[in-house]
Amino acid sequence: MPSYADLVAAAEPARLRLEARDRPRLAVALDTSTIAVGARETLAALRGVVAARGHDADVVTVGGNGLSFAGPTVELALPLSAGSGQAPGARVLYQHVEADSAAAFVAAVLERGELANIWLLGALSGADDLRRMHDHPWWAIQERRLMQDMGLIDPESIDDAIARGAYAGLERALGMTPEEVIAEASGSRLRGRSGSDFPTGRKWEFLRTSTTTPKAMVCNADEGDPGAWVNRMTLESDPHALIEGMAIGGWATGAERGYVYIRDEYPLAVERMEKAVEQARERGVIGEGVLGRDFAFDLKVVRGAGSYVCGEESGLIASIEDARGMPKLRPPFPAAAGVFGQGSNVNNVESYHSVAWLMRNSLERYLEIDTGRNAGTMIFSLSGHVQRAGCFELPMQTTVREAFEICGGGPPDGRRFKALQPGGPLNAIVPEFVLHLPLEPEAFKENGMAAMGGGGLVFLDDSACVVDLCAQFEWFLEDESCGRCTTCHGGTQRLVEILRRIQRGGGRESDAGKLRLLAATLRYSNCIHGQAAPTVVVNALDWFTEELNEHIYGRRCPTRVCKGLIRYEVAGQDGDLAKAADYCPTAAISLTDGAYSIDDALCVRCDACREIAPAAVRIVDRFEAGLGPAPEPVSVQPAER
Amino acid sequence: MTSFRGSGDVNEATLEVTALLEGLAPGEGDLLEALHRVQHRYGYVPAAAIGAVSRQLRLPEARVFGSLTFYSEFRLTPPPETLVSWCSGPACYIKGGENVRLVLERLLGCAMGESSADNRLGLHLGQCNGTCDNAPQVWVDGEVVGPLTAATTVELARRLKSATSGDA
Repeated sequence: MPSYADLVAAAEPARLRLEARDRPRLAVALDTSTIAVGARETLAALRGVVAARGHDADVVTVGGNGLSFAGPTVELALPLSAGSGQAPGARVLYQHVEADSAAAFVAAVLERGELANIWLLGALSGADDLRRMHDHPWWAIQERRLMQDMGLIDPESIDDAIARGAYAGLERALGMTPEEVIAEASGSRLRGRSGSDFPTGRKWEFLRTSTTTPKAMVCNADEGDPGAWVNRMTLESDPHALIEGMAIGGWATGAERGYVYIRDEYPLAVERMEKAVEQARERGVIGEGVLGRDFAFDLKVVRGAGSYVCGEESGLIASIEDARGMPKLRPPFPAAAGVFGQGSNVNNVESYHSVAWLMRNSLERYLEIDTGRNAGTMIFSLSGHVQRAGCFELPMQTTVREAFEICGGGPPDGRRFKALQPGGPLNAIVPEFVLHLPLEPEAFKENGMAAMGGGGLVFLDDSACVVDLCAQFEWFLEDESCGRCTTCHGGTQRLVEILRRIQRGGGRESDAGKLRLLAATLRYSNCIHGQAAPTVVVNALDWFTEELNEHIYGRRCPTRVCKGLIRYEVAGQDGDLAKAADYCPTAAISLTDGAYSIDDALCVRCDACREIAPAAVRIVDRFEAGLGPAPEPVSVQPAER
Repeated sequence: MTSFRGSGDVNEATLEVTALLEGLAPGEGDLLEALHRVQHRYGYVPAAAIGAVSRQLRLPEARVFGSLTFYSEFRLTPPPETLVSWCSGPACYIKGGENVRLVLERLLGCAMGESSADNRLGLHLGQCNGTCDNAPQVWVDGEVVGPLTAATTVELARRLKSATSGDA
């Protein structure tokens, strides 16, 4: 059985390839985010151009770097032997390198040596005269620990990972006793990064002292909260870090088996994780004798099939056990009876990844970033009404305002911040006061929220309607309820009915009380899904009272988003109304006696006409205009089949 | 494509499903994998495959069927020729995702979760996978299309209709 030293020796060529280059290397970041904007086409085009022009350069793929807004990104790494004036050893990151500009890009960086060009994002190292990545405040504010190798290594190469230090943490852990490993995890004060906020070391201690055998380590890689994709970054761009963290957990708790449960919506993550597990098994990192030791640990990747509630740990366990993913009653807790009745430990991806980083480095180094309440870093994904969507790894004293303004670049032009939606539909919609809070679970809990969540931060500007988003979230939660508790599946259904009625102008004085009663009842559901389901509605009642009341009593949506409270009408004949009429999906715009008009009975309020002829079409508050309810419920069946 | 006659039949088709399930075992957490394999092969999970899965994993058919309908990514009917998945995530929603849905439902001629009468085009409720810089977006047979507006969705829907109508 190979030892860790054997693995490092085998990875030496990869290290040389990564560090001591003899020819230029173009590395295309390939993850779900960049593939969505054409990175695969960029890769093919770069390979074609480099081959056609006979360049002595490598075109390789690496994982994603989190910078969604800049994709497709390509990193140029110059050889150490490059002549002076050519920035030997420089590593430079380029953004928006589209397939159709591949030839021009290659001509610039490989033929003319123009490192500063229209694609330049910044130099990661070397090339002193170029704009540096660190000159970007959104880069400088980051502490890229967990993300240090994302975008640098090929996630499909175990040698790349080992060359950058993978499994050094496992090797160190195997030289310690399980108690020592757990003491170090506890010393880091790491708490569940999914939003559960439970101390990881203590959870491991439960399983270590559990008398059941065999035991299992489970990774919750379901990441179902819409707007969060931080776990996907690890799975797709540094999968060996997760295997390492889970194997360390196995050693610390006595578990010999691991399950990585990945949601079906992450096919690339499933593919890369399976490949990584296979490679780790082939090399003897996992399997019968982990790193040549008398310790067996093996992993299985389980692919979900589209169920939000499987992100709840007991639902996830049920889902692995050949069943519907319905959360179970607790106790027993997983440490006593988890997967197939075995004592189990469930952590999310980032928790395991953080332990891997801790063990690869040291407790002392881990605690170099410490707010007093939380040490280490956390990855956040920013989306919604921001200038820059992407993943950013931040120390936890970073405030929401800093994340929003520095990382996200603030709201779209001409807009103002309105609310933050952290941690998915079960968590919260929070107004402006959230901006001054640090990104620490305690700060969120002290300010009326149950949790901070797993890192998803969706920002809303003043064009968004909180009532509308509540209705959408409650509908989502109704749809995803497992159906066991009537409080949950019936309660969410009632919430949706009331909210949708309000959105059609049917608000009643009794609605606020009804919503609160439903919220109070839902708290008695069996699992977090039902318990937290009404949270955003309570947020609307408490924090967006005026906006909600305007819907209920004024029968008016201040942002004119709720379709049942508005009407589209022709404001004037200036503008391309002929084109608008042509685009209207329900043929609601017609020309009579030389003038266009919109038929309210046909209009579905999709906004296409106003996009095309903004000066000619306006939205009015339908009840203020004395129009009465919309002719039909708006979110319904198509007009024709 | 192999044809299926209905649950309970042991015929050529169910033998083929049994071959697909090779290596999967009871008590190993293999049910989802079994259903994924079947769906990957046929595009949906035919009723006749339920018996084969049940025998292979020694699970009651009811339990297999229960899981099949619990998870939203499994289909019980053949998929449409072109599947448009609409992202239901909040980043898409607050950036006009609802407008995109309204247009798609009207122009493709089917509601969310359904297919057009000729099964050429279907609409699927998609879940956020974190490509939110393209919001609001849809996936057309898995490929991201976005950011969309209502007007560009009209263009997309018309393009899809003419591409699948056969008389374009």
